[in-house]
Amino acid sequence: MDVFLTTAALFTDPYLIGVILIGTVGGVLVGAMPGLSSTMATALLLPFTITMQPIPAIALLSALYCAGTFGGSITAILVNAPGAPPAAATAFDGYPLAQQGRAGLALGIATVSSTIGGIFSIIVLIVAAPILARVAYDFGPPEYFALALFGLSMLASISGESAFKNLLGGAFGVLLATVGMDFTTGVDRFTFGFWELSEGVHFIPVMIGLFAGAEFLTQAGNLDRKVVRAVVDAVKLPSWVDFRKTLGTVGRSCGIGAFIGLLPAEGGTVAAMIGYNEAKRWAKDKSRFGKGDIRGVAGPETANNAATGAAMVPTLALGIPGSATTAVILGALLVHGLRPGPHLFNETPTLLYGIFIAMLLANLMFMGLGLLGAKLFARVTLIPTRFLWPAVFILACIGSYALEQSIMDVWIMVIAGLAGYVLKRYGFSAAPIIMGLILGELVESSLKQSLIIFDHSWLGFLERPIVVVFILLTAASAAMPAIAGYRTRLRERLPASADVPGD
Amino acid sequence: MPEEPDTGGRAADRGSAARIPRDAVAGAAVLLFCLAAYLVTLTFKEAPAVIAQNVQPATFPRLVLGVMAVLAVIIIVQSFRLPDRKPKRLAFMVWPSAAIMVGFVIAFETLGIVPAMVLLCLVLPLMWGERRLYLIVPYAVLFPLAIYGLFAVALGVHFEPSPLVFW
Repeated sequence: MDVFLTTAALFTDPYLIGVILIGTVGGVLVGAMPGLSSTMATALLLPFTITMQPIPAIALLSALYCAGTFGGSITAILVNAPGAPPAAATAFDGYPLAQQGRAGLALGIATVSSTIGGIFSIIVLIVAAPILARVAYDFGPPEYFALALFGLSMLASISGESAFKNLLGGAFGVLLATVGMDFTTGVDRFTFGFWELSEGVHFIPVMIGLFAGAEFLTQAGNLDRKVVRAVVDAVKLPSWVDFRKTLGTVGRSCGIGAFIGLLPAEGGTVAAMIGYNEAKRWAKDKSRFGKGDIRGVAGPETANNAATGAAMVPTLALGIPGSATTAVILGALLVHGLRPGPHLFNETPTLLYGIFIAMLLANLMFMGLGLLGAKLFARVTLIPTRFLWPAVFILACIGSYALEQSIMDVWIMVIAGLAGYVLKRYGFSAAPIIMGLILGELVESSLKQSLIIFDHSWLGFLERPIVVVFILLTAASAAMPAIAGYRTRLRERLPASADVPGD
Repeated sequence: MPEEPDTGGRAADRGSAARIPRDAVAGAAVLLFCLAAYLVTLTFKEAPAVIAQNVQPATFPRLVLGVMAVLAVIIIVQSFRLPDRKPKRLAFMVWPSAAIMVGFVIAFETLGIVPAMVLLCLVLPLMWGERRLYLIVPYAVLFPLAIYGLFAVALGVHFEPSPLVFW
């Protein structure tokens, strides 16, 4: 409690409040811009935070993360172009509402349900993170190896075209992590004579390239696209009738979002899709869904924001990112010399409470901004692509350079951008590659240490109960999309074959 | 994804000639990559057993390459069973924009950061169809200066002076 009060006292500093406000406003703005996601924005902003103290730096990125998740709903509702992937499901009913002249109501519902989801997720973070960290205290290298494998296997079920492509992307990320000097033997691997690569491929330029560089080329291919904006009436708080109508949906989506967020690698996009589907499944009258039902806005918006704080739980307690954006925050912790995991809770409790408070403040701030300034934020879509994206590309280059002040990192960013664009066209997502790159070192080091512990016997893994549990979970999560696909195909075939005898 | 299902079937628009599914092409490319990367691992130096502790530097990358190869084979097999998807046609502007990305880094190295940024801010909007010079010129001057000021002055990032320009 003393630590909490001490940390809370830090937040009376106008500088820290200003930093969170900047992060929140920036998050809502980038979230609202189609093509710019909170993941990309946190990656671009990370180099700016190098000179900052750890608490303001992480508070800034956390605020940006929370607000960016909400910001995507503004353009999803007004332009039918989700500013960020987690807001894709919001457009299904948000845009029809806006076309009916009820944009203000849709934005009000999105703002309030996002705030409820966000605050619920922070409660989950405050309760679950220390418990998980306590459990993780007993983890040795074999447990960390199995946990990292489980995290990678969860890539199979994140959004994307194919589970196997996601797993392949994750494996490619792990391979990228092997570039550079092998830390046990000092032997260079995949460096091709470039001494700059001896220290390995830093994930920040790769991440900036895969997200910002690839999106730059996507935008170059969509220059003739016209954006049609719905007219915004006054943004209003939901009435008591609206509130009662969405209460069940909001409650369910809080649970869904928090659960999905807690799982390694899963994030707001998956949570929002499930939140939308469940809102529809539980509704007595489903006919309005897709035509402008407020539950179709409340469901995904609550769920994607409920995933934000929850996704920080595995990130902080285990060092396993809960989502692509928390992977950047994990990277920021490393850049500031902090190693996420159980020890973080003993060594730097002030930082952890700082993150909790910053996220809470960001949620309250974006509620105010959303209700008062959504009309203004919606105007960011008026910034012409022809000026916005050259600026984003320059920021991507300078951001990659600033980290190590190395031109090699700029080349890595550009190559990652070109490769990311090609991969995207072939249905590969960027997030699994990043996850693999971040977890790669942990996988290799923990595997090597485990093999030494077990005297090079792979069967040794099966003697550790926690490892066995993680291996079973890994097998289940890797197989789940294949089983789900098989069940879907079976369901599609059944009615056709059932019709034959009857007809 | 800018893709649409190939409703006409894989071979529909090419007469009787069967078209190789895109995922099979992607999977084959990954297999080739794995083979090339495996050959590179053969060039890794062997570490003395006492240091390597029975896990040589090439062991782990080869393990990962094996996993990648298995996944690539699954993707290839799946591609012949699932409907193929053809991508949206690649817009012409993607090619020069990709060239600009590479050109910017070369300009960064040779001309220096500020001239490179000014050039990019002039050329790219023009190339993308912007014709309002009264917007382009101030943008190409003010934005690079603001970015340089922020990073070099406020954040203390050191930019190497280029061989051609004093910045």
